Amino acid sequence: MNRKMPLPWPVLASLILALILAGIGYFVIRQADKSRSQLPILAEVPEFQFRDQNDRPFGRNQMLGKVCVVDFIFTRCQGICPVMANRYTRLHRLFQDAPDLQLISVSVDPEYDTPEVLRQYAANYGMTEGRWILLHAPFDHVKDLCENGFLLPAEDLPQGHSGKFALVDRQGRIRGYYDHDSDADQNLLKTHIHALLKAKK
Amino acid sequence: MRSAFRWTAIAAVVTYLLIFTGGLVRVSGSGLGCPDWPKCFGRWIPPISISQLPPDMDPAQFNFTLAWIEYLNRLFGVFTGLLILVAAILAVRHFARTIRIVLPAVLAALLVAYTGWQGGRVVESELESTLVSVHALFAILIAALLLYAAQQIHYVLNPTAESGRTYPRKSSLWVGILLMAAIVQAALGTNMRSTIEAFAQANPVAEGLAWLKYAGALNHLHLLLGVLIVLRGIFWASRILRRSENPSMLLWQSAWGMLILLMAQGLLGVLVFLSPTPIWRVLHLWCAALIIGVFLLSYGAVKRASRSPITSAGENL
Repeated sequence: MNRKMPLPWPVLASLILALILAGIGYFVIRQADKSRSQLPILAEVPEFQFRDQNDRPFGRNQMLGKVCVVDFIFTRCQGICPVMANRYTRLHRLFQDAPDLQLISVSVDPEYDTPEVLRQYAANYGMTEGRWILLHAPFDHVKDLCENGFLLPAEDLPQGHSGKFALVDRQGRIRGYYDHDSDADQNLLKTHIHALLKAKK
Repeated sequence: MRSAFRWTAIAAVVTYLLIFTGGLVRVSGSGLGCPDWPKCFGRWIPPISISQLPPDMDPAQFNFTLAWIEYLNRLFGVFTGLLILVAAILAVRHFARTIRIVLPAVLAALLVAYTGWQGGRVVESELESTLVSVHALFAILIAALLLYAAQQIHYVLNPTAESGRTYPRKSSLWVGILLMAAIVQAALGTNMRSTIEAFAQANPVAEGLAWLKYAGALNHLHLLLGVLIVLRGIFWASRILRRSENPSMLLWQSAWGMLILLMAQGLLGVLVFLSPTPIWRVLHLWCAALIIGVFLLSYGAVKRASRSPITSAGENL
């Protein structure tokens, strides 16, 4: 070594600066992560007891412990329902490694949408493995859950059903609504599902 | 004339800080914190609460933390741009005929304006990962141009800075190769980041090293080239420190900086692989930018020394 040269003080000072910056950076990233999982609690999903496409009972208890996306559709609908179903197949594909995510559709046309019809509807979209849960129940119960549970319009069902997806956390609380027609909303939905899946059980 | 040096050097340092904050925006996922550009939710000062959002904007998109992280990077970018502009003006005023000073300084000023505008396209594209990478590479290039300009001003002000220095043979050849390799390496690295981001978007719940299976040949090259650069660079720097006769202060500091940065970068490269904590990625990119800078400074110094007479200081005036 060249002995007459001094220690590299500027280099050492920069090193200390870099360590401080790294600390600040770590803090900023953590804040950003935290802010993403801080979704408002909009409402509590009430108790309900419906049946799924395999005619098994399905209610609030079957939602607890899982992250759920919920929408209201009917199989004869030619308007927005196919678009919404396609959004579900997309989510299903994206989150196929996350068994803790449930995609739920409640039929607002229970007269026509028998379990067989619902089963066939899911099969038409290539979703047979039970991750897409299609529910039916007497019309009054559906209307009540839609209007008072999920706070979505239920004036002239079935045609008047909402085009929004509701996101429900593991504790059965509604954390957000996302329009089926907005790509920005759909991106948010993905981020929020991810954040809720990561949140502690 | 000293003021030109000071402004250029400060602009270079601030640009390196900007590269750090830009990296933070990327890995903290704040890039769309402001969905519009250049304003944030239609305001020059980002909203603090949802009630301040303009009626045509979706309140669900608003996240206070992310909006401010993104916006502070934009503000810091504008500040840096102005610093670079001042540095370029001073360079033109004092060194109008010295092409090796004026050219990089003016180029840096033009490039920073373009990069700022290109940042807007990044937001518009909803963070298309190639555009994000190009944005980062431009910033690294601007910092390098400013460093080069500052170094050349330093040599005009101190013409004998590298006279009478003797460095090991082929020093400039090797550090030149290292500089080129480091630039290629940075491009490969951002490509790797794009691959990972694309994979993470298609598989939002995949964790850990699942993406490695999808990494292409270019990404293996990144690993190989990284090891080569770190080993060769450490060897080069320690040879400068041991074998130089009467080395200049600049090269002495650069060689030390190179040693520390390369060792840190080797460690960071491993941490990026092993640990999901995103801070390593920011530091890895930042370290890469600094390594390119320190290679460039070293190259400038040994090149200058090889052109200055070895005999005694002062004759070169």
